[in-house]
Amino acid sequence: MNRFEILKKNKWRYISFIIGFLLLVSPFALLIRLEFWITGNLAEPSIHYACLRMPIGWIFRGAVNYLISRPEMTAFIIGVLGLSLFLGPIFCGWLCPVGAVSEAISRIIPLPNKFRIHIKDTNITSALRYGFFAGYITIYILIGLKLSGDWIGSICCRFCASTILQNLAAGIFGWLLPTYGSIEYWGTASIIVLISWLIIGGIFTYGGRGWCLFFCPLGAFSNLLYKVGAKLGFYRITYNKDKCSHCKKCNLVCPMWAIKSDHSVETALCINCKECVNICPTGALTMKWGKENATK
Amino acid sequence: MNKKVVIAFLFMFLLTISTGVYGVILSNTEPTLFWFAVPAGNITEPKVLRGPGPPINLTPIKVDIDRFTPLKKFFNPNVVEIGTHWIYNYGKKPVILRIELINCTLPVKWDVSANFPFDEKTHTFTKPLMPGQRIDGLVFHWIFEIPPELMNKPIIYQGGVKLIDANTGEVLTFIPIEIVRGELMRGGS
Ligand code: SF4
Ligand code: SF4
Repeated sequence: MNRFEILKKNKWRYISFIIGFLLLVSPFALLIRLEFWITGNLAEPSIHYACLRMPIGWIFRGAVNYLISRPEMTAFIIGVLGLSLFLGPIFCGWLCPVGAVSEAISRIIPLPNKFRIHIKDTNITSALRYGFFAGYITIYILIGLKLSGDWIGSICCRFCASTILQNLAAGIFGWLLPTYGSIEYWGTASIIVLISWLIIGGIFTYGGRGWCLFFCPLGAFSNLLYKVGAKLGFYRITYNKDKCSHCKKCNLVCPMWAIKSDHSVETALCINCKECVNICPTGALTMKWGKENATK
Repeated sequence: MNKKVVIAFLFMFLLTISTGVYGVILSNTEPTLFWFAVPAGNITEPKVLRGPGPPINLTPIKVDIDRFTPLKKFFNPNVVEIGTHWIYNYGKKPVILRIELINCTLPVKWDVSANFPFDEKTHTFTKPLMPGQRIDGLVFHWIFEIPPELMNKPIIYQGGVKLIDANTGEVLTFIPIEIVRGELMRGGS
């Protein structure tokens, strides 16, 4: 199947990514605009009000006051996590502009796959991903217990791909509408994030989801809940080995390296994007509800 | 458990913790965010202002561009960002706050967003900030662009920010701001 056919088969997903961008990224930020209009908030809408990082830190440091004082951010994160339990990480797979942009860049730039990082062992990929997540929550637990002192700090705002995306969008679309964000300033951390998110994680990573796989706490947390949800029989991807012809097409299209060597799916990595379902010629991969064949 | 899996987990765990440590180091070499509060007077040295909210650390702001990391020096040496998410009124009366950057001849962009009315022309928060209150949802940045001819000067900018009661003109807080080069060398000479 060529690129054009893949594009056609997954067109709703790519349209959904454009909608995600328009909903969250300034100067459009339509979802945030709507919320600000309803609540009478005067701030300039931007992706920062749908932060993918900070509220997770607040949960683990027990900062209930922050969670209460920023109800829109808290509601957004709880919404994404709640959906992940019942429907899988569909925010990651269908809406998140951070993941979408790096995935799009990896598809647009025709770099031969031999120059791209691709770990085929899902156990190692999961270990790297949850090593990051464990480190991330450890930092916030230390901050919550006031053990962080002056030696360790938050890795939210300084190391944030959403900020880079927002600033790039301000540079590109700033002429259209007033927008929040500035493309002029690049601190060391923002340069590191740009390189990790778009260059290494986008261009030089197979599938273009290096940031999502290894540096996004919301992605990792969502997948943990998906793993639980899949065991409980909620909406999930299922694999029927009797139908599988071992053509490996699913391995080729999966942006999250979630297909195991036996072609079943690792729910700690899968974002329910359905690229594999759409390409599978025998129908061995399908989406399912209900207890039957729930992931062990 | 597979040895490689354990190593991968520990590697990323330690890398993440190191990122948190590096973030603190970066905040010393590339300071960007500061706390502001009124009325605090003339801040000539670090001071803690106590009030109904959290204790506010106020400090003179000094950015030494020679302390930037090689990455920053290579890609974006001439742009300095200084900003805040926190402006509190710890005084006893409501105040309409005007912000003034003094002595500034550098090109500077004001990037301000808040759930509080702000007049971009006069740099004034046009609603009174009540005692004990802070400006809600504030994201406030100055982006200074240093012209090439000033890049090698030991003192690039020496001025500060005044937080002024717009009704009376009284300066409630003054925080000095300096953008310098080679602070250590000058200190030793
Ligand atoms: S993993 Fe993070 S960055 Fe990637 S799609 Fe999900 S929320 Fe977005
Ligand atoms: S396993 Fe399938 S649904 Fe899951 S991320 Fe990979 S391609 Fe998408």
